[in-house]
Formats: sequence, structure tokens, C-alpha cells
Amino acid sequence: MADLGAAGVALALFGGAIRASTPFLFVSLGECLTELSGRINLGLEGTLVCGAMSAYGAALLSGSPWLGVLAAALVGALLGALHAGLCSLKRVNDIAVGIALMVLGTGLAFFFGKPLIQPRAPMLPALHVCPTCQFAPLRAALDINPLFLIGVALAFVLRWGLANTRPGLVLRTVGDSSEAARAMGYAPLWVRLWATMAGGALAGIGGAFLSLYYPGSWNEGLSSGQGLIAVALVIFARWRPLACLFASLLFGAAGALGPALQSIGVHQGTYLFNAAPYALTLAIMIASASRRGTRVSAPGELGAMH
Amino acid sequence: MTSLTLVLGVQPGMRGRWLGRIAEAWALPLLALTVALLAFGAFLAACGVNPLAAAALIWRGAFGTWFSWQNTLQKASPLLLTGLAMALPARVGLMVIGGEGALVIGGLACAVIGPTLAGLAGSAGGALLAQALMLAGGMAAGALWLMIPGALRFWRGVNETISSLLLNTIAIAVMNQLVEGVLRDPLSLNKPSTVPLAPGLMLGQIPGLSVHVGLAFGLVLCVAAGVLMQRTSFGFAASVNGGNPRAAQMVGIDVGRLILIACALAGASAGLAGAVEVAAVQGSATASLAAGYGYSGILVAFLARHNPFAIIPVALLLGGIAASDGLLQRHLDLPDATVAVLQGFVFIAVLAAETFSGRLRLRCRLWLPLPLSLRGEPRDG
Amino acid sequence: MTASGAASLEVAAMSKRFGANIALADVDMRVPAGTLHALLGENGAGKSTLVKCIIGSYRADQGDILFDGREVAINGPRAARALGLGMVYQHFTLVGGMTVAENMVMARPKIPTIVNWRAERRALEDFMARMPFRVPLDRRVATLAAGEKQKVEILKLLYLGCRFLILDEPTAVLTPTEADEVLRFLRDLVEAHKLTVLMITHKFREVTAYADAVTVLRRGRLAGAGAVRDLTPAAMAAMMVGTMPAATRTDRNTAPSQETRLKIEALAAIRDDGVAALDGVSLSVRAGEIVGIAGVSGNGQRELVEVLAGQRRAVAGEIRIDGQPFRFTRAEIRRYGVRCLPEEPLANAGVARMTVAENLALRDFDVPPFAARGIWLDRAAMRAAAMLRIEDYNVRPPDPDLRLGALSGGNVQRAILARELTGEVRVLIVANPCFGLDFTATAEIRARLMAARNRGVAILLVSEDLDEIQELADRILVMAGGRIAYESSAAEVDLAAIGMAMAAH
Repeated sequence: MADLGAAGVALALFGGAIRASTPFLFVSLGECLTELSGRINLGLEGTLVCGAMSAYGAALLSGSPWLGVLAAALVGALLGALHAGLCSLKRVNDIAVGIALMVLGTGLAFFFGKPLIQPRAPMLPALHVCPTCQFAPLRAALDINPLFLIGVALAFVLRWGLANTRPGLVLRTVGDSSEAARAMGYAPLWVRLWATMAGGALAGIGGAFLSLYYPGSWNEGLSSGQGLIAVALVIFARWRPLACLFASLLFGAAGALGPALQSIGVHQGTYLFNAAPYALTLAIMIASASRRGTRVSAPGELGAMH
Repeated sequence: MTSLTLVLGVQPGMRGRWLGRIAEAWALPLLALTVALLAFGAFLAACGVNPLAAAALIWRGAFGTWFSWQNTLQKASPLLLTGLAMALPARVGLMVIGGEGALVIGGLACAVIGPTLAGLAGSAGGALLAQALMLAGGMAAGALWLMIPGALRFWRGVNETISSLLLNTIAIAVMNQLVEGVLRDPLSLNKPSTVPLAPGLMLGQIPGLSVHVGLAFGLVLCVAAGVLMQRTSFGFAASVNGGNPRAAQMVGIDVGRLILIACALAGASAGLAGAVEVAAVQGSATASLAAGYGYSGILVAFLARHNPFAIIPVALLLGGIAASDGLLQRHLDLPDATVAVLQGFVFIAVLAAETFSGRLRLRCRLWLPLPLSLRGEPRDG
Repeated sequence: MTASGAASLEVAAMSKRFGANIALADVDMRVPAGTLHALLGENGAGKSTLVKCIIGSYRADQGDILFDGREVAINGPRAARALGLGMVYQHFTLVGGMTVAENMVMARPKIPTIVNWRAERRALEDFMARMPFRVPLDRRVATLAAGEKQKVEILKLLYLGCRFLILDEPTAVLTPTEADEVLRFLRDLVEAHKLTVLMITHKFREVTAYADAVTVLRRGRLAGAGAVRDLTPAAMAAMMVGTMPAATRTDRNTAPSQETRLKIEALAAIRDDGVAALDGVSLSVRAGEIVGIAGVSGNGQRELVEVLAGQRRAVAGEIRIDGQPFRFTRAEIRRYGVRCLPEEPLANAGVARMTVAENLALRDFDVPPFAARGIWLDRAAMRAAAMLRIEDYNVRPPDPDLRLGALSGGNVQRAILARELTGEVRVLIVANPCFGLDFTATAEIRARLMAARNRGVAILLVSEDLDEIQELADRILVMAGGRIAYESSAAEVDLAAIGMAMAAH
């Protein structure tokens, strides 16, 4: 690959970015929905891993990777419901619940996933955009996974839905002002339940990608913290679905930059590239914060969060 | 409103009240723990495993033999320190989850300072000085790292949970980068690590136990932190701010200073854990420095309800559970994630129980056949 | 909505009590269709309670409501809106993160699953075209100024087809120009017989310029009513504050000294939502003097107390104690002996989850005898001292180990007062100290304040109860619109002038 130079890097980066961004995309869209309803879910890491495990197991048992994706969504929704249920109790700390679910989720996933490490489950098929392409790296870069396309479509659908449908408007109302929502007759707890379940389902699908496409196996080192970092991603994207798409691509590209550079012999600084998006998020949080200011774009009910 | 009361067989009056208060503080977590254990037992039964057998194995693996005790103590040592890293800022009202990052930074600092002091390894006094410097360096580095989220929260209103989470990732990335890059020991081929410490500088073990001195540090710091929080004016001021920041403002408490000190102490604890990991266990800094002790510390702190004294038994409990995973694996063929599942159950149960704290008065008449002189008045209120 | 055009409202014999507190007693009110009616009264007069009973947020103990001549039972704001009866509150009920257009659409009782924005926008634009003021439809509400938000609230209700509009102090957050705009607009609608308006206000200027008739409440009862053209502001003020002679003044044995202890100059502060609360407040308090600040709540009193308690930063101005600038550090608080008893003491001055003994030690937990060498707490000493104060101030139940949050409101007040009046007190800031307390507790607390005054403490008393101020204060100030609008010694006070100052703006 070294002789391809910049073109090779760019192609590897392109393909890698799409691949690496897919789990970020799903988890961030899910967390975006949850946070727009006024609640923060720090447990998505556990949901992601549980989703990955369920997807792998279901795909193995049924022979169909898509059933695996469905299973991951269901498991994610269940964990989301658990989170919502616990947070709805008075005096329970939302952050602590998230961390508890992270511990429980990863624990359950590795517990039930023990027998899944060896067998090979059917993988999600790649979409060959240019199967007849002569240039091998281009062909490889254009092998796009279907979940990515679904995720992109989902980002657009969510953006449209949040502005143009009643459920979307109600979600934003509840997340901005519980009082206004209640005055209008909506029940914030129920809305948050659905939003958290949807968020969990999407996070589960993000996990399904990891086990059924890339890296495409089940083991305990599968996740690299995408679930936790999705929270930062959502802040970076200022709670906008399309910006989540962009941010996921950015974070994914940062992750793919390392291997892409390594392919042309550059071995320095890979970890720092990985960390760059997080540092950027922190910088943005600091810059947009002020001691007294009212932050305009954060959902009002996230309150002390932002 | 249903209620349970525990009638204590103690004298009425101040001593009785004090004991009653302690009993109340412990009753809820103990109840939650029991519920969690029962639920876990049901979970195991549903998976076809004999819960009683598992319980016996956990007991044996944690506290059954002298060997298992030492194993437990070994596993509990870092938890004592990382638990403090969460609990101290929580007492002041901040939810900082940055223990993992501070631990890594502290370990890194220790691993950097250590090799430069290799010359001191010759003499006993020199070795002691070197060790003190390494540990101090680790604590200082961790303290500075964890002061960042605190400062950002107080002066810029940045949410400390998220900023500390981000700083964790950044710390681990920096550590990995340095360990594989500039600080890499050219002799470490398979697994990148920093230059190892001279053997004479490694921390020893507690005499009589095959557990490194990190345990002693942890115990001492927990006790010291507990005394600080409950017996000093600093701890009082911290409780005031943690309970109602407006009241703290009104009486002129210097909240910024409070936050910075709490975060610095928290970071120093985690940093010490990292330094101990390097100087007593690994000998150098490697990628396995980020082993999740920081995140386990969060669990410890919440279970202990952020009380430094309570961190000691909780760390022992969690350390014991972690220590028994070997036995569970070997005898019941359970995956090592079993302990994580149990931890998750316990964590959730304790959090859910918080909803009852102070609201449902625990009052249940347990008729104990106690002599009249010892039967105290039921606590009212 | 079948009917259209302005609706009439009549309230007969409405009564409401909260426990021992009689909020409304036998109030009648008639608002004919197509008129703008003002509801006047001091704090605690019952205005808010009356409108909340009308709109259905409270259920009145007694009384009938006739809407458009028909007896109705309204069980909540949404039911009221369905009838065509809407209310604009003092706090905004808009969703800040959404645009004006989205807010208007969300207010509707039934929203289609998929919103056809093109049709909605057309309808909104048609509607806006008929209104004299424009609000940009696509601006996010959080970025609007307070005045614009108020307009959106009104427009929202009109868009829903409201025929009777109740407004609770609508111009409190508006500039005089904005206030005139809004009121002019409402007046036009009323005259075109499209709307009837009931407006709670305390500003005579607005009443005389825009209202047709007025109803005045005092202490939950009807104090007077009539057409505006038949009443002078003085007459209205008299109805509001009463013409009875001032309540008996407590004995004061000393005159205030000449020494100025607390001096506030040109203090300015902003509320959390960005609205200016204090607009250049200047006053001074001498040792051994009680300065009372009267005024309708919402004119900056809360923010003034917050600034003096160190809970809010002033954006301009200076506070001096004993001639020195005061910077709210614990050392300075101790040196100058500054104490504070704010409103809602549990939320502002105490820690609910700490014990009474600990709360009583909040001022001196870091000095001997409570802390040896300033570091080591002596809880036994704290407890013993607490027992003394509990007994002295009659805190019930007399248990120093109870959590403060477990005490009743009155006892929390006593406990905080016990703390603040103990030790070397030289400056005391008090806000509504007797709010919600029974007769005995009130008398106790007033006696303590007077005793402190006689000992030489400089006391700044902020109160919504004019009787309290008259009874206790040596000098009376009135705060309105974030400024001091009136000042006089208690001996020379002119009640009518106070009423006017409270109501003028």
C-alpha cells in the first residue's frame, strides 16, 4: 500500500471512517433522543455491549444477521426501559443509574456471551457499491455496510420528525420544560420512557454492528467505549441529529486515521488522534459555558447537566 | 405509609439516639444488599446454577481461607483509594467520575519519576526517599488532573461528570501514547511499557501478609478522609455545600476553595492508586494500568453512600466478590463476568433503595426477648 | 368553539381558605363583556387566589362562576381554555427551545400526527397580520426579550380563540413602552368587542389609562369596586391599604444612633432570566434603627436580599459596612457581624438534611468553642449550645438531633432566627420574617427584632406586610421597579403616599 501514498491513505480513511462511525452514529442518535427528552443516559456502554452479544447470539441461533440486529434492538429497548424506570423513582441519581446499568449491561453481556466466543455467526452483508471496480482499494473503500446507510437515513428522518411530527414536538417540549409539557397535558415520565427505550434500542443496534460486521466477532474487548463517548458526541453535536451524523463521521475518521496512517508507515500519534475528538468536545463545552449564562441550545430539563 | 422499625436493645438518650442513627444509616444499604443477593440467587437458579453452591463458593473465595482473605485484600486495595476519588467530591456536591483518569496519570507520573531515581536504590534510606518521591509525584499528578473538572465546574459551570469522563479518555490516550512512544522502554518488545523500576525501589509487602503496602495506604487514607469529613470544620463546610449551596453562600463559606481541595484530595487518592499499581504490582506503566479500578471505585463510593469510613467494608466486600471469581469459574464453570453481574445487581438495588431514604421510616417491631433494662424506647421521629 | 366575541364573567360569593389562612372571603365581581377590568390589591390580598379559583387551578370552597351568563364548573386550565377562558401568568409557560411558531402550534389541544407546516404557517401569518404587533415566527423563544415573550403568550391564547383573558401583572417585566403597546392592543380588542380582559395590576397609571372598572381586594375581602372614571388614584390607594390608623407601634426605648452602619449605593442586579431586578438602589441603615422596605413583591426585593446575603452577585454598585467595602467573605461577615434571615429559610438559609444542632452552628462551626483551634469539631458543645437556643426560641420539637427538614415551617423560622440573632450581631437583613406564622410566633419574632434594634443592631426589614413595617420600622422606604420610590420616617409617613408609590411606576 505504501506506493499509493496519499490516495491510499485517503481511501483507507474514507472506508475506515464510515465503518468506525457507524456505532457512534447509532448510539449518538439514540442518546440524542434520550437527552432531548430531558434525561441523560450514561449506561449506553452496557446497552451497546449487551446489544452486540444478543445480536451475535440471535444471528447464530437463527442463521440470519438481521434477526440479530432485531434482537439487539429489543434488548437495548429493555435496558432503556430499566434505566427509565429507575430514574423515575424520586431521589435517585440519574448519573449513578447510568453507571450502574453500564456495569450490569457489560456484566450480563459477558456472562451470557461466554459460549459465543468460539462459533462464527453469519455476518451482515456489505453493500458493494462498485463491484466491478478495477482499483482494489477503491472497491474496498466502497464496500459500505448497510447499517451505515440506515443510520444516515435515520438521522434525516429524526431531523424531519423532530420538527414536523407531533411525537417529535412533544419530545422537545418535555425535554425543554416539564412544566409546560404538563400544562399541555403530556406526561413527561412516559415520554422519557419511550425516548430512553428508543435510545437503548438504537444503542443496541450500534452494538450489533460491532459483532456482526466489524470487527465481526464476539469477545470481551469488542467495545472501545463508544457508548460512553456518545454522550460527549451529542453535546458536540448540540442535540441535532444531522450534526450527530457529522460528528460521528468525525470521531470515526479520527479512529480510522491511526490505521490509515500506519498503512503508509506512519506510526506516531495514533492514540492522540483517537483522543482528539474528545479533547475537542471538552474545549467546546468550556467555550460555550459561562458562569451565569443561559445556554440556549441545550434542552432545558437537562438543567444542571449543561 | 407502611413502616418497619428496628427496636434496638440500647439505652434511650444520646447514646441510644446515636446508635439508632447509625442503624438507620446502615439498614437501608443492608436491606438493598440482601434484596440484590436474593435476586442474584434467583438469576443463577434461572440459569441452571445452584445459588447456594455459588454462595458457598463466593464465601470461600472471599473470606473462607487465609489465602482467599489475602486475595480479597489485594483486590480491595485499589478500590479503597478510587472509592475516595468519587466519594470526596460527592460530599461537596460534585459528581466527578474521573478516578480512572487520575489513576492513570498518577501511575504514569510514578513510572516517570522512578527510573530517574534508580541511583538511590542502593541504600535503604535512599530507597525509602525514592519511594516517597514516586508516590508523592503520583499523588500530585492525580490531584492536579482531578482539580480540572472541579475548577471548570466552579468557574465556568461546565458539567463535572462529563468533563471528568472526557478527561478519562484523554488521560488513557495520553498514557498509551507516551508508553508506546517517548517513554517506551526499548527492551519491552511484546508489550510496550516504560522503563521498569529498579527492584530495590519497588514497594514491599505488609509484614505478615502477602499483600503490598498499598492496602495500608488505602486504609489510612480512608480513615483520615473519614475523620476529615466528620470531625473537622472542613468536612462540616463540605456537608453544608453538599446539602445546600445557597446556605453555604449565605454563611460565607469559600466554595471554590472547598471544591478545589476536595477534588485535589480525590485526585491524590486515585493518583496514589495508580502509583501503587506501578510501584508495587507492575513495576512499570503499561496499557493495563487502565484496568477499570476507577470505575469500580464509583460503585464502591455509591454503595458506601460516600462515607469514607464505610468505603472500607464496601471495598472489602467488592474485593471479596472479585476474588471469588476464580473459584466460580473453576467449580461452577461460570464466566468471570458473573461477579460483574452481581455488582450490577447490588449497585442497582442500592440506588433504588435511595428513594426510600428518609421517606419511609424503617420501623418494624422485632420482638427480641431482651432484659427490660436494655430494651430502649422505640425511636420516634 | 361555537360562540365568539367577548365573553362576560361573574363571580359570586367566592371563598377559599388554606388551613387556617383565609385567602378569600365572600368576594363578588362582575366583568361585563367587552370591558377591561382591573383587579387591585396588596400582596396577600387574594388576587392570585381569586383568578386561580376562576381558572380552575384551585377549587374554591364556595362560590359560583358565571361565564357568559351560564353557570360553569371549571376543573383546570385546559377545561378553561376549551370554554374560551385563558390566563397569562407571571412566569412564562413557553418552551424556550422551540420557535414561536412551534409554540403556537403546540398550544392547540389537538395536534395532527404529521404537522403540515405550510398550512400552519399560512394560518399563523394570516392571524399575525390581523394583530398590531409582530413577533418573528421563526425565532427561538429563549432568544426573545421578556416583552416579546409576553406578547407571544397573549397571542397564543388569542390564536386559540380566547374570549376572556386573565392577565397576572402582565406588564411587570415590560418596559413602559412595551407595556403601553400591549395594553393599547388589548384595549383595541376590547373596544372591538372581541375580547374581555381581567388584569391583575398594582399600577394606577395603567388602571386609569386603560381600564373601564376596577375591583379592589384587601385581605381576601372585597374592599371596593367601581368604574374607573368615578375613582381617583387616591381613593383606590385608600381601598388597597386601608384608612385605619397605623397599627400600634412597639415601644422603642432608644433613638437610632447617628452612626451609619450599612450603606448601599447604586446597587444593580439582574434576575436569572436576564431581566433587570435592581436598578440603582441606594439606602443606608444606622445602628439601632429598623429600616423597613415596603412594596409589592416582584419589584426587586427578593434580589436585594439575595445580593445582601451573598447569593447573587451585583452587577454594579457598592455595599459598605462601617464605611468599609463589604465582600461577603466569612471573615468579613464575622468581623462586621452581618446576619441574614431570608424568605423561605429552609431553601435559603439552612441545610435540610443536617440536624438542627448543626444548622444552628452554621455561623461558628469553625471557631472555638465549636472547633478546637478552628479545626476539630466539638459536637457535644454544638449540641449543648443548640439545646440552649432551642429552648430560648421555643423550637418544637426540642430535639437537636432532628433533621431541619423534619420541622414545620414556623419552627424552621424560629431555628434560623435563633442562629442569626445569637452572637455578635451588628447588621441584620430580614425578609418577610412572619410569613405563614401564627399569631404567637409572629409576636415573638417581632419582639425579638425590636429587642435587637434596641441593642443597637442595624436592621433592614423587607416585608410585604405593610402593617408589620408600620409597627416595627423607624424609617419606611418603598421599593418599586427596582428602585427606592419613597422614603420617610415612620412618624411622618403618609399611607396614601405609600400606596401611590407602591402602585406608581
